[in-house]
Formats: sequence, structure tokens, C-alpha cells
Amino acid sequence: MPRLRAHLSLIAAFCAVLTMAGCGGKQDASPTATAVSPVQSADGKKVLRLAFPVQESGFDPVTAHDLYSSIVIDGIFDTLLTYDYLAQPAKIVPKITEGMPTIEDDGKRYTIKLKRGIFFSPHEAFGGKRRELVAQDVVYSFKRHFDDSLKPVWRFLIDGKIVGLNEWYEAGKKAGKLDWDAPIEGLSTPDSHTLVIQLTRTDYNFNYVLAHVAMAVMAREVVEKYPNDVQSHPVGSSAYMLKEWIRGQRIILEKNPNWAGGTWNFQPSGKDPYDETIVREMQGKPLGLIDRVEIYPIEEEQSRWLAFKNKQLDVVNMPGNFAPQAIPGGRLAPDLVAMGVRRQSFVDPEYTYLYFQWNDPVWGGSELHKVALRRAVAMAINRQEEIDVIRKGQAIKADFLVPVGVAGHNETYASSVTYNPALANALLDRFGYKRGPDGFRNTPDGKPFSFKITRQGNAIDREFDELYKKNVNAIGIRFETETEKFADSLKREKRCQIQIRGAAWIADYPDGDNFMQLLYSKNIGESNNGCYKSAEFDRLYEASARLPDGPERNALYLEMQKQFEADTPWVMGVSRIRNQMIHPWVRGYKKHPILLAEWMYLDVNTGKGK
Amino acid sequence: MTAYIIRRLWQIVPTMAGVILLIFLLFNVVGGDPAYLLAGKISNAEQIANIRKQLGIDEPYWYQLLLFVKQVVTFDFGQSWSTNEAVSSIFATRLPNSLLIGVPLLILETIIAIAIALVVAYKRGSLTDRSVMVSCTVAQSISILVYIIVLQYVLAYKLGWFPVQGWGNGFFENLFKYAALPIIIALAVSLAPNIRLYRTFLLDEVNQDYVRTARAKGLSENRVMLVHVLRNAAIPIITNLMIQLPGLLVGLFLIERFFSVPGIGREVILAVERSDFPVIKAITVYVALATMLANLLADLLYKAVDPRVELK
Repeated sequence: MPRLRAHLSLIAAFCAVLTMAGCGGKQDASPTATAVSPVQSADGKKVLRLAFPVQESGFDPVTAHDLYSSIVIDGIFDTLLTYDYLAQPAKIVPKITEGMPTIEDDGKRYTIKLKRGIFFSPHEAFGGKRRELVAQDVVYSFKRHFDDSLKPVWRFLIDGKIVGLNEWYEAGKKAGKLDWDAPIEGLSTPDSHTLVIQLTRTDYNFNYVLAHVAMAVMAREVVEKYPNDVQSHPVGSSAYMLKEWIRGQRIILEKNPNWAGGTWNFQPSGKDPYDETIVREMQGKPLGLIDRVEIYPIEEEQSRWLAFKNKQLDVVNMPGNFAPQAIPGGRLAPDLVAMGVRRQSFVDPEYTYLYFQWNDPVWGGSELHKVALRRAVAMAINRQEEIDVIRKGQAIKADFLVPVGVAGHNETYASSVTYNPALANALLDRFGYKRGPDGFRNTPDGKPFSFKITRQGNAIDREFDELYKKNVNAIGIRFETETEKFADSLKREKRCQIQIRGAAWIADYPDGDNFMQLLYSKNIGESNNGCYKSAEFDRLYEASARLPDGPERNALYLEMQKQFEADTPWVMGVSRIRNQMIHPWVRGYKKHPILLAEWMYLDVNTGKGK
Repeated sequence: MTAYIIRRLWQIVPTMAGVILLIFLLFNVVGGDPAYLLAGKISNAEQIANIRKQLGIDEPYWYQLLLFVKQVVTFDFGQSWSTNEAVSSIFATRLPNSLLIGVPLLILETIIAIAIALVVAYKRGSLTDRSVMVSCTVAQSISILVYIIVLQYVLAYKLGWFPVQGWGNGFFENLFKYAALPIIIALAVSLAPNIRLYRTFLLDEVNQDYVRTARAKGLSENRVMLVHVLRNAAIPIITNLMIQLPGLLVGLFLIERFFSVPGIGREVILAVERSDFPVIKAITVYVALATMLANLLADLLYKAVDPRVELK
């Protein structure tokens, strides 16, 4: 299987070379405002066609563990809160609530008023009646994250955070059955449209959880109708409903006839000039102009890219291997310009990193010579080469622990750890890592050691191997790899048994806490995969977790960053750039960094003037 | 004959037992723990343990093996661990799509390869023979990936003769619109080795005494080649065909991926990537069973084409 994967990945590079021959044609810099969608349905319905690079797994918000299933879930289900479509950085706004939650009791009590007139899409489970979404549905949806039989994957979002919820779960475990009707102290519903959430500790950032797609609101009747297959019967209250799903072939969504709707009303972010165009195109129009969304799983990059160029897809996330010919020199290729294609680039709210095992006898711990060793490697890794060669220019260096686009990011911060092999060598010399007869360094007590990285052995891993080998060899450190299955790596990671491994984290929600928790020692065995342990970092983290986003928390984040750099438990990597390619008949499109399904904010020009 | 068939069918039982044991050992030794893949981004030991419990992989090995045997006997492999879809449904919905490409491909490649092999065997040593052989050698040297990428780009994207990718609803729509290019590509890949192989089988026969006798009797060359030579070369050709039959069950995974065909090949890849043991178990057992049945069928066909063959 690794051979197959290697094949599949190598193909991409070959495809890129081949497709280059197709780039050409005359330059037409201005997108054609009159461009019309090639899909002209007889009933005048507007259709948006998209592709997933990975097959979906199912549409239960509690169990969906892949991004692409979550995108569909986001189109079908409502969350209490959502994100402003254009605001930068991401800004939370009400979705099915009357205004934002009222936060009281030192950030421990959230009072939420639900809008009236939010209805689930029609379903036989409702007995032919329109079913309104009420506060009890929210409570029920929260509880489902504690149903072990579902294998829930998002429990961590609310685990231990709501008064009485974990106790209810423990009582259910003891009894062998969860009592779905039992009240939860921290989830009370004074009336049908009011929900009061009592948290166990101060958390001014709980709104992010309320906007997360996993917290989508479900109807209990539907869940109980399909106890073992809710994922195939997603019934929500948002703009779309599942019309047809042929696994691995297509997902068809159509407008939910019961959807409350609304009016397109957003302001330009002031950070992206194209926002003005979007606002001009869309302001005042009704939401949900797209009648039908068609999604096709297309795994291969060449197939996806050619399908887009062939006008079989309206929007595509440009496959990275096609960057050299689709955006040569950072500009859209002439053939795409001639087609009127628009590119939207943005840095994903994420980063990659290389962690060192904190418990490792050679690499881990806070002794000075070990810190020096880690720091030396961090200074030896050439991230610019990674960006230029491996990422084909589609990434930026990530220095701050909170990445671009996430609350708490520090735009002006300059890391003290920069690429400097000469200084790295000097540092190792100073701390007693002397070179042996083979030219490689030994530990200060004279034992040989190596930079042993664990990876899965696919094509991109091998590119990284070459880069890291070159980089660490340049400072006299031996390079070794160990290849294993991803599941095995995860298992050993949780047991603090991996010496060095590359990892990545993309925002579950755009708040710094979601990233800072990666280094909190109480998350060892969960998300702190290098098992980093620093009393000072923990102290700062705990203090920051009690604060809302703002200067006070940012000051703590800066201190945490300094502590992190002083210890260097990771080598910071890059944040990847996403390039969305959009055909000119799609109106109002802007990929939101956090929102998953923006379809209700779009329009498609069919030339029929709807 | 009946006794022979019954005996051969009985032999499937111990063979299948070996297959079951091998799959079980492989999964448990090198398969990876799926609980870690299913646990999501942030999970703790308790949640991992819960998933293991839900999947039944926390049970003693003997019990898991017993369950596996029961699944094989009942042909009920439960549900996919990663998508919750019933394994039977995966096969029912994906296999026909794979067969829609695989069966016409097998038929076409057999007919075309035999026809060309007959011509070049008949014209052995001629320019035609040498040209075909050189072409076959070149064609065999090129990776299937190159065929897929180039032909998808040229025939589908540049010339627009076929869809770049996709799959429709109806049988004929799929066969003539969406499956056409995948079949052509697979044919381009598989023809060359088959032509060479069948040519060898036919050449073994062309030089036999009975062929000379047939010609001496004044039979037409068509009759000599199509009736006498082809019939005598049929046994190794049948063997080759029967070897390919079980492959229909696993589909053409590269082609299915590139052309977004919702076939069983794509599912197999996904299942392996996700350590989805129920799907892997089912496909392995089905392929093993199909291989054994294809072998039996091959033996029966030997007897049909050559009455001298004795089934013991």
C-alpha cells in the first residue's frame, strides 16, 4: 500500500508537467461579468457544482471525523452562532439566536435566546407537521456527544465544561443507559426558546464552541427513527437538505423549503479589495439564491483540475501540484485569465510543526544542553527551501504559536529562532556535542545519537526526509527515519513514545486557545503530542484561558511564546496557502477560513435574471 | 464429474480456514489500531478504550476469530468501521460499477488479443509480427499511470471525446459515456502482455505435426488456425482468463480513482487507508473464494475443450 500511495502522489507531479502544455491562449485580464453558468436547468434552478478531494463518511455532526462530511453538515444543520461572511479576522455573529449570548457570572453563564420560526426541513419523522427548532433540541444535541455507542469525536469541545453534563454521562454509564430526559443543571431551558448554559469555569470564548459545526442542532425524533444510521438521514434547519447521496459518487443538496431565509447584508472587511465587488454584487439580495448544490468526490488532482477547467465544476481548491502552471510567478496563468477565472488566495488558519519528545533521553527535557540541541536543529531546518521546493511557494513561515487569521495572532512578532546553520553549529560546539571520527556529533557524554523522525512514508514525507537529512547533516547530526502506519504513530504519540515527528494543526475555531492548548501539560496523551511539560507555560496558559480575546490575553500569549522559544519543544513550520479558483459566473464567492459551507451567500449567473 | 466437483468444493473449506487465519493474524500484527484513527483530533485513553469496545477489538483474540468465522459463514461482515455503511451494501452498490468496466474489458481484451496473436503467430517472423512485438514491448514498458494521465488529458480534456471523470445513473449511460475511456485505457495497458502470451501459446501449436497434417489434407488456413490451432491452445488461454476473473472483484483501483468511478477498487484503497477491517476482511475472503471457484471452473473448461483431460 505505501507503494500505491507513493504512486498516487508521484502522479501529481507528472500531471503537473503534462498539463503545462495546455497553458496558453490569449490574455484577458478582466473576468467576464456576463459569463453564464453552463448548467441551464429547465426549471431555472441555480446549481453550484463542487468537488471533494476525499470521500465523505457520513453526516452525523457528532460522529463526522472528516472535514468534507462536516462541510455538508454545515450546509444542512444550524449552529447557534456562525461567522460573519466577510469580516477579517473571523467574527462570530448570531445564526439562529436573537442577538449574541448574554455572558454573565464571570464568563460562566451564557443565556441564549433562540429565534422563533426556525423549522427543520420536512421529514416523515415529524408526522407531516412543520417542526420548530427549540431549546430542548440544543440540549439534546449537546448530550449526544456523550453517547459512547456513537463513537463521538467532538466531545472534547464540551467535555468537563458544562455543569452536570459529565455527571449525567457518568450516571448513565453506571446505569448502563443514558437517561435522555434527565435535566442537566448546566443546560437549562426556562422556556422553549431560551437556553442557559452554566459552565464549570470561566470561559469567555465559549461562543466559538457554539459556532462549531459539531454543535449543530438535531431533532430527537429523527435520531430515534434511525438509531444506527443517522448519518445517512441528516435533517437540519439550515438552508439546504440532503436530496440524494450516492456514496463516493455524488451528494445532492436542495434548498430546504422550511428554511427561514434572510437578506444578504455584510460589510467589506477593509482588508480585501474584492470584498467591495462582492458587496456590490450581493447586498440586499435574498440569501439562498443557489437552489441546488452538487458535490462530487474526485480524489485525483489531475481529474479535479481538468474537471474545473472543463467547466464541470464551478469552484475548486487548486491542487498544490498545479501551482507552477496555474499561478506562474504568483499570477494567474493566461489561459485561466482568458476563461475569466478568479483566484482567491488566503493563508489557512493552521500551521505545521516538528515536535521533539519531551521525555526522550537525548532530545527532551529542560537541561540546557538539550535545549541547545533542539534550538540548533530549529536553526538548521531551512523552512524557506520547504516553501520554495516542497510547497511550491504556497505557504508562509509560521513563527507565532497562534497562526494568521486566529484571534491572538501577533502580526509583528519576529521569532528569535531563525535559519542559521553556522550559529547552530557554534551552539552545539559550545554545549559539548563534539564530532566523532565519522564527522557526526555525539552527546556531551560521548554517545552517538541521531535525529530519528517517524513518518508514514508517502511521497511528500520522502521530500521532507531529503530536506531534513541535508539540514541536520549540515550541523553534524545523523539522520534516521522510521516508517509506520498512521494509526500506530497516533498510538505511540499518545504514550509519549515518538522521538520526533511532523504534525499539523488547523483551527477547530479561530481562537488562540485552540492552538495554545497543544502545549498544555494536562493535554499530554490527548493533543500535546510532544508531551511538552513546562510549569511556567502551564501557569500562563491557565491564566490566558480565563480571559477573553484582547490585549491582556495577547500579553500572556507573548510570554507563552517566549517560554516556548526558550524551551524550543517544537520546530515551527509553515502555514499553507489555499488557492480557490472560481469561474466567473459564480457571484459573491469568498472562501471563509472557518465557515465550511458558504453556499447560502452565493449566486450563480444563469443569464436568466433571477 | 459430480464427485470431482464436490471434492473440489470440500477442499475450499481448509483453504478458506487458512485464509481466515492469515487475514486475522495480519490485521492484528500489522494492521494498526483503527480506534486511534476514529477517535478524532483530540481524544483521551478512555475514549480510545470506548471505541475499541464499540468495534469489538477489545475482546479476546479467540472470540474475535470466532466472530470472523461466523461472518464468513453467514456472508455478513457487519458495517464499515469508518463510514458505518453495511459491508454488504458497499459490495452491492460498488461492485456493479467495477464490473461495468471489468467485464467488457475482459471480453474485449480476450477477443482482440487472441485475434492479433493468431495473425502474428500465422505470420511469424514477418514485418507485421516484428512490428507488433516491438509495439507490445514498448507498450508494456510504460506505466499504467502514464496511459491514464496522457489519455485522460488528450482524449477527454483536449479533444473532449469523453468526460474527464464522473459516473451517471443508467447502465447504458455509464457503459457508453463514462466507462468508455477507462475501458480504452485499461485495454491499452492489458493488450500488449496478453498478445505476447497468446502468441507464445499459439506458436507452440503452429509447429505441431497435426497442423502440418491438416495443411497437407488441404484445409484452409482459416480452419487450421481458428479450429485446430486455437482449440489446442485453448487450455493455457483459459488458465490465463481464469486467473484474471477474481481480479474483477477488486476492480481497477487506479482507473476508478482517476475517473471517479464509484467502484470497489476505490473502496479497497479507502479501507486500507482507514484500517477498515470489516471491508478488508470481506474483500479478501471474496477474492480467495473467487480464486478457488475460478480454478475449479478452469479445470471443468479444460475437460470441455479437450476430452482427453481427465478430472481425478
